[in-house]
Amino acid sequence: MVNLTIDDKQVTVAKDATIYDAAKSAGIKIPILCHDKKLHPFGGCRMCLVEVEQMKGRLIPACTTPVTEGMIIRTSNVEIIKARKLVLELLLLKHPVDCPVCDAAGDCDLQNLTYEYGVSKNPLQDEKFKWEIDYINPLIERDMNRCVHCGKCARICDEIVSFGAYSFINRGIDAKMGTAFDGPLDCEFCGSCVSVCPVGALLSRPFKFKARWWAMQKVKSVCSYCGTGCQLTLGVKDNKVLTTIYDENQGFHNGQLCTRGRWGYQFVNSEKRLTTPLIRKGNVLVEATWDEALALVTTKLREAKGGVAALATPRLTNEELYLFKKFITEGVGSQSIDHSAGYAHEALTSAAFKGLGEASSPSVIGDIQKSDLLLVVKTDAYETHPVIGFEINLGVKRQGVNLRLISDKKGKLSRLPGAQTLVHLPGSEVFLFNTLANIIVTEKLADEAAVTVAGYDALVKSLAVYTVEKGALLTGLSAEEITTLAREYASAKKALILLPLGLAYPGHNAPLAQSLLNLAILTGKIGKEGSGILFMAEKNNSQGAVDMGIVPGPGGKNGADIINGCASGEIKALYIAGENPVVSYPDRKRIEAALDKVGFLVVQDLFLTETAAKAHVVLPACSFAEKEGTFTSVGRNVQKVTRAIKPVGSSRSDFEIFNKLYAEFTGNPPYATPQSVFGEIADSVPGYGGLTWSKLGSDGFIRPVSNTLRFVPVEAAVTVSQPGKFALLTGSALNHSGTLSQYGEGPMMVCPEGYVEFGRDDVKKLGLLEGDKVVVTSAAGSVTLLAKLGKRLTTGVLFAPYHFGANSINTVASGDPVTWVSVAKAK
Amino acid sequence: MFNVASPLINGLKITLQHLFKKPVTLQYPTERPIIGPRFRGLHALNRFHDRSKCVACYLCPTVCPAKCITVEAAEDPVTHEKYASRYDIDILRCIFCGYCVEACPVDAVKMTETFELANYKREDFAYTQEMLTDKK
Ligand code: SF4
Ligand code: SF4
Ligand code: SF4
Ligand code: SF4
Ligand code: SF4
Ligand code: FES
Repeated sequence: MVNLTIDDKQVTVAKDATIYDAAKSAGIKIPILCHDKKLHPFGGCRMCLVEVEQMKGRLIPACTTPVTEGMIIRTSNVEIIKARKLVLELLLLKHPVDCPVCDAAGDCDLQNLTYEYGVSKNPLQDEKFKWEIDYINPLIERDMNRCVHCGKCARICDEIVSFGAYSFINRGIDAKMGTAFDGPLDCEFCGSCVSVCPVGALLSRPFKFKARWWAMQKVKSVCSYCGTGCQLTLGVKDNKVLTTIYDENQGFHNGQLCTRGRWGYQFVNSEKRLTTPLIRKGNVLVEATWDEALALVTTKLREAKGGVAALATPRLTNEELYLFKKFITEGVGSQSIDHSAGYAHEALTSAAFKGLGEASSPSVIGDIQKSDLLLVVKTDAYETHPVIGFEINLGVKRQGVNLRLISDKKGKLSRLPGAQTLVHLPGSEVFLFNTLANIIVTEKLADEAAVTVAGYDALVKSLAVYTVEKGALLTGLSAEEITTLAREYASAKKALILLPLGLAYPGHNAPLAQSLLNLAILTGKIGKEGSGILFMAEKNNSQGAVDMGIVPGPGGKNGADIINGCASGEIKALYIAGENPVVSYPDRKRIEAALDKVGFLVVQDLFLTETAAKAHVVLPACSFAEKEGTFTSVGRNVQKVTRAIKPVGSSRSDFEIFNKLYAEFTGNPPYATPQSVFGEIADSVPGYGGLTWSKLGSDGFIRPVSNTLRFVPVEAAVTVSQPGKFALLTGSALNHSGTLSQYGEGPMMVCPEGYVEFGRDDVKKLGLLEGDKVVVTSAAGSVTLLAKLGKRLTTGVLFAPYHFGANSINTVASGDPVTWVSVAKAK
Repeated sequence: MFNVASPLINGLKITLQHLFKKPVTLQYPTERPIIGPRFRGLHALNRFHDRSKCVACYLCPTVCPAKCITVEAAEDPVTHEKYASRYDIDILRCIFCGYCVEACPVDAVKMTETFELANYKREDFAYTQEMLTDKK
């Protein structure tokens, strides 16, 4: 600790603090323009000049100067104010000062400081900048005339996002923040640069001229796309969500969002939102009142007694899911309830439940940067959970964490310094991890305590067949690579495994998770800081859906069996709350046939999705911006969602709909508010005990786990390659999440339709050009898609994202970890 | 007796004097008032080429104490410039304080000498951008 005096105040701070940090901790404000707490100090703008007694004679930048013992600092006097005014005058010299038409006005550091320091005229004069404004990309307007050269955009894009889209070009007065070859911006569009730009040089185009900053209400909530659970601030005006607003003090991610969280909010006020209930009359859905629609649902569900099943999306709040479960099990009397096709949550509900005694991750997101070695299963971890990707970037680049990617393709994470990607043959993961476990056992690298864990002997016995030689043969990796990895993992003091889950990853199921858990338990990695395993569940409330028991009860059917039951006629009525199986569950043709067959289909959704179009009754539900409740994100963080706008049209929150039906079917009184259901959750759901609404606070609350370890041997199913065919891998595109982001303008501007990605060799072999149309055919069906040329795939491997309703990839994807397909150029 | 009559006579005297003075009232509407240079009557928007000069900065609706100005901004698809796609004043609510004129950074809004604003229907008090913008 270091003691110093700032403006006559005694301050004690850590020895790596800067003067700026020290002043901030003492509540003294020093103006800044180029400094950002997330980034390395830069010292470019000189706005933060202060006087240090021991360094008299010149002014010292507070943001880059480390504190030393006994420093005496003055943060404001006549000379300092004069210097800061000069900084502003110089910045304003070539600045256009077009605040009336600049969207940054009101939230602009330059404007605020100019006002604060009373710079109303400029003794200096020069021409204004005349840079051409970049209007080419659809999301970010780049007006370098307003740039103050703080470098924050380039630094965040490099340090945290690890994309590196910008750098300064030219010298002196011609210096400019530029892109590669000064061309238009073409990046991953996470919007981080827009968030940190202190002025209006980088602006959101979808929000352009929509509202002034001061006229918007700022409502804090949680992103409703992926399981990362980023906190965000919605900019609301006239009952419309107009934008997301950056708040550097929100969440573990310091307010940073990914491309979909940042730009995918438009679905909330989309023109396509359902505003009234619909009832099927013959071939058409006609508008109906809530009373009519709910009465019909009630009658039909009662008629179908004994043959009712339900599917819910893990995008609903905990309270809604809890209530849905109660309504279906207690009210309707069915145990057939599930989500995510029954497989995308199995890593938690089956594997973690067996191996850890609890269906949740033992580790939390905060462990990533504290680890020594990260074992990321599939490079897609960046695409599925981009802000967790930022944490990985930071861990590797700032904390020196080693990164090993075990994947069937390369990806963005592969480019991080020191990262090694072991590209194995598609579908050979379980075999690989069993082999690693076997090496660890035979080389006696296992943790001492492992022998005491239940099931040890059975595990060791089961592992014997997973020899390195066989492993090398089946995975396509060399024996040496496999052995080195096993040794590295076992010997790392802290090692964390990251496993993304999701509908697009049928291979990331119970066996894979179990083999990873065995590996982690074997090496004693569970229950330590910076160590363990983090299951990256797909949707905003996937962990919550598992916690609230949206899985089949005793004797109930799971997701896959529910679909089969519909096809066979065993299920007579199906209640779908928010899921879109027609697009997101494997084998579209089979799903469509099953849903066409079922006697009565209720779909409750925001939009008339491909699934809702088949329904007998469609109930319009509310988006996350219209409701209150909680989401439980990756790493068990229970966070509050706040209502920002009134329900769109006559839509009702899922809570309200379930509450009414629950009361009708059980005869119990309805719940008063989501809070009262939360109270019941706290009383009855393990891990939520003792939680209260107020305890969640603004940061949420990481609910505890208690693990009982157990080894569960798993057999690795061997994927046999089919000669002449390609291995099709499905996955997530960076700009999209599930099928919901299709209704967000931002994501659709950058990634409007499905595609299939080819590796270099295959492109050559097939004579393809970017944008060519290809027909992909499997045993299940055939679909025509755009070809995309990638650099990350090996020969014979294809990749396609799963989010799109038109030409959806589930027409060909069978639900196996790898689908074998043939490819032809479309005529 | 005299004491009772004198105020009456004084009063009559004043009345008589006024018969020979210039009248202060106006024979409105045949006679028109002279309007002071800083009079605050109905608003108008200055013109700039084919649009009003307003750049939709929202300062006047922000400052307006009666909240009677509605502005909506739009982006010119070709020049990317900001302009007001809507500029409405609900004159029934306006208190003619002139803050909007003071706030305008581009000298777009002004107040004219027009004070005859009576009308028959409520809707007729809603002034649109088209009605307010100076004619070409
Ligand atoms: S960047 Fe700031 S100072 Fe510059 S025009 Fe915009 S609001 Fe005004
Ligand atoms: S949007 Fe993200 S990736 Fe693109 S330049 Fe900005 S920070 Fe970099
Ligand atoms: S564009 Fe914005 S963030 Fe980037 S250097 Fe200029 S002012 Fe700073
Ligand atoms: S989509 Fe996921 S990573 Fe992106 S902002 Fe939302 S929660 Fe965060
Ligand atoms: S202040 Fe002037 S430029 Fe701004 S909205 Fe009002 S009239 Fe338009
Ligand atoms: S904030 Fe310190 S130099 Fe810019």
